[in-house]
Amino acid sequence: MKRTNETLPAVEKKGNVVEMAMADTSQFVTFYYDKHFFGLPIDDVIEINRTLDVTPVPMAPEYVSGVVNLRGQILTAIDLATRIGLSCKNIEKKNEKKEYNNVIMGNREEPISLLVERIGDVMSIPTEKIEPPPDMIEGIDLKYVGQVCKLDSKLLIILNSKTIENTEKKKKNAG
Amino acid sequence: MGMEDDILKDFLAESKENLELLDQQFVELEQDPENEELIKSIFRTIHTIKGTSGFFGFTTLEGIAHFAEDILSKLRDGIIKVNEDITTMLLQSVDYIKAIVAELEASGKEPVDTEYLDFIVDLRNFAEKITKGVSTSPPEEKEEAKEETVAQDQDKGEDRSNKTKEEAQAKEESKEKSKEPEKKVEKAKAEPPKAQPKKKPPARKPAPTTTHLTESHVRIDVHLLDQLMTLAGELVLSRNRLTQLANQLNDPEFLTANQRMSLVVTELQEQIMKTRMQPIGNVFNKFPRIVRDLAKTAEKKVQLRIEGAETELDRSIIESIKDPLTHMVRNSIDHGIEPPEIRVQKEKPPVGTLTMKAYHEGGQVIIEIVDDGAGIDPDMLRKKAVEKGIITEEQAEALSDREALMLIFQPGFSTAEKVTNISGRGVGMDVVKTNIEKLGGTVELLSEINVGTTIKIKIPLTLAIIPALIVTSQGQRYAIPQVNLVELVHLNPKLMERDVQKIGNSEFYRLRGEILPLIRLRNVLRLGEQEGEQSEEGMNIVVLNAGGHLFGLVVDSISDSEEIVVKPLGSHLKHIPVFAGTTLMGDGRVALILDVVGITSSAAAGDDAMKHGSVVSTKTVEDDHQFLLLCTIGPDEYFALPLALVNRLDKIKATDLEFVGGKEVIQYRGHSMPVIRLENYLPISPLPEQDEYHLIVFHMNHKDIAFLVSQIDDSLDLAIDVEEGTFKQDGILGSAIIKERTTLFLDVYQIISMHDPDFFTQEELYADIPARILLAEDSTFYRNLLSSYLTGAGYEVVEAEDGQKAWEIFQSDHFDLVITDIEMPRMNGFELTRKIRNEGANEDIPIIAVTSLSGEQNRQRGLEAGIDDYQAKLDRDEVLRAVTNLLKEKTLETAA
Repeated sequence: MKRTNETLPAVEKKGNVVEMAMADTSQFVTFYYDKHFFGLPIDDVIEINRTLDVTPVPMAPEYVSGVVNLRGQILTAIDLATRIGLSCKNIEKKNEKKEYNNVIMGNREEPISLLVERIGDVMSIPTEKIEPPPDMIEGIDLKYVGQVCKLDSKLLIILNSKTIENTEKKKKNAG
Repeated sequence: MGMEDDILKDFLAESKENLELLDQQFVELEQDPENEELIKSIFRTIHTIKGTSGFFGFTTLEGIAHFAEDILSKLRDGIIKVNEDITTMLLQSVDYIKAIVAELEASGKEPVDTEYLDFIVDLRNFAEKITKGVSTSPPEEKEEAKEETVAQDQDKGEDRSNKTKEEAQAKEESKEKSKEPEKKVEKAKAEPPKAQPKKKPPARKPAPTTTHLTESHVRIDVHLLDQLMTLAGELVLSRNRLTQLANQLNDPEFLTANQRMSLVVTELQEQIMKTRMQPIGNVFNKFPRIVRDLAKTAEKKVQLRIEGAETELDRSIIESIKDPLTHMVRNSIDHGIEPPEIRVQKEKPPVGTLTMKAYHEGGQVIIEIVDDGAGIDPDMLRKKAVEKGIITEEQAEALSDREALMLIFQPGFSTAEKVTNISGRGVGMDVVKTNIEKLGGTVELLSEINVGTTIKIKIPLTLAIIPALIVTSQGQRYAIPQVNLVELVHLNPKLMERDVQKIGNSEFYRLRGEILPLIRLRNVLRLGEQEGEQSEEGMNIVVLNAGGHLFGLVVDSISDSEEIVVKPLGSHLKHIPVFAGTTLMGDGRVALILDVVGITSSAAAGDDAMKHGSVVSTKTVEDDHQFLLLCTIGPDEYFALPLALVNRLDKIKATDLEFVGGKEVIQYRGHSMPVIRLENYLPISPLPEQDEYHLIVFHMNHKDIAFLVSQIDDSLDLAIDVEEGTFKQDGILGSAIIKERTTLFLDVYQIISMHDPDFFTQEELYADIPARILLAEDSTFYRNLLSSYLTGAGYEVVEAEDGQKAWEIFQSDHFDLVITDIEMPRMNGFELTRKIRNEGANEDIPIIAVTSLSGEQNRQRGLEAGIDDYQAKLDRDEVLRAVTNLLKEKTLETAA
């Protein structure tokens, strides 16, 4: 798990590191799925786990890959791509044994494991650089996008952890 | 006295926790005075203290709690608003309560000190003031309250304060109806001279807050136990891995060391698990005393019965159900069971019975509290709820009786006419529901006026450890709770071919003469087919019991039986009916636990035929669900008959049919079996010539007999709703539209009798005592069926289509025996029985209840209502046997 606070490269390049450090910053755990670059607020992430054995659950909603055993606690594993409607071609081959990384997130009572392809760094981003999402991002259901942040080379999509972990029907909270 | 000590200890420990919480909550309340949840929570805590101190006769404590509760109930109902004075007063009450609790812990007695009595008086006056203040204006109320406090503070003279006190005390008595008011007054009178001057000034300061509440025993957070158990689980997994390695290395020393560790780990795990499991008896055992005391206070006679005290439950669950149970028992005694005089008037025994029982069912723990009291009138609840503004009149009318009963769980709902010391102000039930739901459980309320009330609590086995059978399907392991397991069957391909039959989309297996519907796990789980290999390997059938009826679950392989720890599924997966939870296997992987009842319903929903079939009936009476066998003769004649009657299905070649002595027979298992062509007895088109025919074989009266049909189509689990009318005639019970086709229901018994009038008559079940039977049954299908075989056995049968009708007929006629269905409109079987027994003054007429399911619980209820025997409708032989036996008994009795 990487929790070392790396400074945002983009910020360094601009050379106003000091100013940025003064300003309010938020930290994000980042990860990749296909060509997209995602982030989650660090407070919403409990831990990152390389590979956990996913036990498939028949008849589960499509976005649920199965359940995993995290040190005796059984978590629902949600496939990020399917969840947010990411329409990339390789998802077709989901059945192939592919190594996923688990981002354990959500509330501590009932965390979920979000399956992502590759884990990135933890980034500090000045709050002012964070913007509301555009009207549309190709191939992604905006419901799951909280905010975005334009980086030099790419767009960081900050996911809305609430909508990701909530059950579809938004019915009674477990408890 | 040990019991009392126990309860006291619990009470003190619990009160201490709650009191600590109260301090915090009051402060929160001051900041957020509108927070209803908070007020309710505080109210409940105080209410519990009041109630419990009432049992022990701690009058001072009860007094303080009572008036504090008074104030709180007004806050809760929104009559007054929280202000600083109120909070101060309430906080002071908490301080006094703490002081008393501390004293109780130290000496087991309440402190004898006028200080406390003074406070009660203050509190009472304050409570009264604020109530009055409501009618005037809030600021005044505040001032008044202050004045009062000031007056007391200054303590101008003993005489004066003494007087006020006595006056107040007198008033309080009349209001509170406390048990020992005189003592209080005496104390108050006797002690003031010396105690008052010294004690008063400090008492006005936020009373004895400094009292330390010392812990007498260690209370461990359940969370910690959870973690311990999880870790123990992990340890087991590591051990397993190590054992594997040890075996590979095959080093004797290593092996011994590992074995030793293995034992310790197992032991450790067991012990940790034990810390969490407790028999429910630990809670139940406290009730005899509580019930006795409550009954005494309420001047009622109550006998308590406890069943299933050994049922084990997770510790945390036991803790959390204690209070709800106490509340419910209180309610039952206070509102449910009538005073002895009234019970006698109602022709019930003067001593009421309260039953508490616990048992496992379908992976859940069920706790029932049953009383034979007055029951709850749904109309009264509706009225009350409207009066109290909980629902509108229209809403009330729209509620079914069952839903109306649930109104009792609304906050602020109290049905008792008067507020009593025991049950209080309608807190009980909403607390019960909230607490049970917190555990993920449900509460159900069943009540019948003048018969009694049953409260059924279902609690999931979360965290509980259950034995389970591990099976695999498509490479994945699944656990099946052992409670549902009946037996395991392995069929080799040869046996499979012989005994497994496919009808339409459904498969059946003949298990010792019974037809067992088969469900393939992979179909239920939509895992897709793997046709080829299964027939080679044979078939593994897990015979399961789903709430009364059996079915076979076909799995790829059956592994081991293991003790598993049930873990809940996440919220994304909870809704899947076929899974009850998850568990961890020895290798650290997750396995899903199957929900046996969920599987049957899911299998039914997945079946296309079922969807068509369900069109048949709109009025679904659960009671009348049956597996039906559908068959055809020729292209357009459709028939249905209950699968339960069928012994076997078979195919024969046309050439196998023989004509012997004018009857058609076939060589079947070493003897000749008569074969019936339906067209000989029914006005239908004849069976067309075919190379192969299908046989439906019945085994009755120790003989085999078969129907010959063209095709066996399907089998459906259907609510039977038969129309008589057009098609009713000998041999046909009626018709129904099934899969968009008019289908005739065959009267198997009658057709057989038509074919061979002697088939049933030479049997031991034939009526040797002629008798008149009254038959009450609402389903046309069953009524005709029962009537048919009863008449066939030589009885005279009078039919009634519901309980009410039966009762009317019964009054104007003479019968030797009554057979009744349980679920019927207008008047059900239980009521009918009671009517006959009580009003009809027919103690000795035999009554048999018939049902399509035989539930132990119904049986129990039936026996209590005065039913002599209980039989399944379709089990002709058993029903007839019961009739003969009961009639014989009766004749013997009358002869004697």
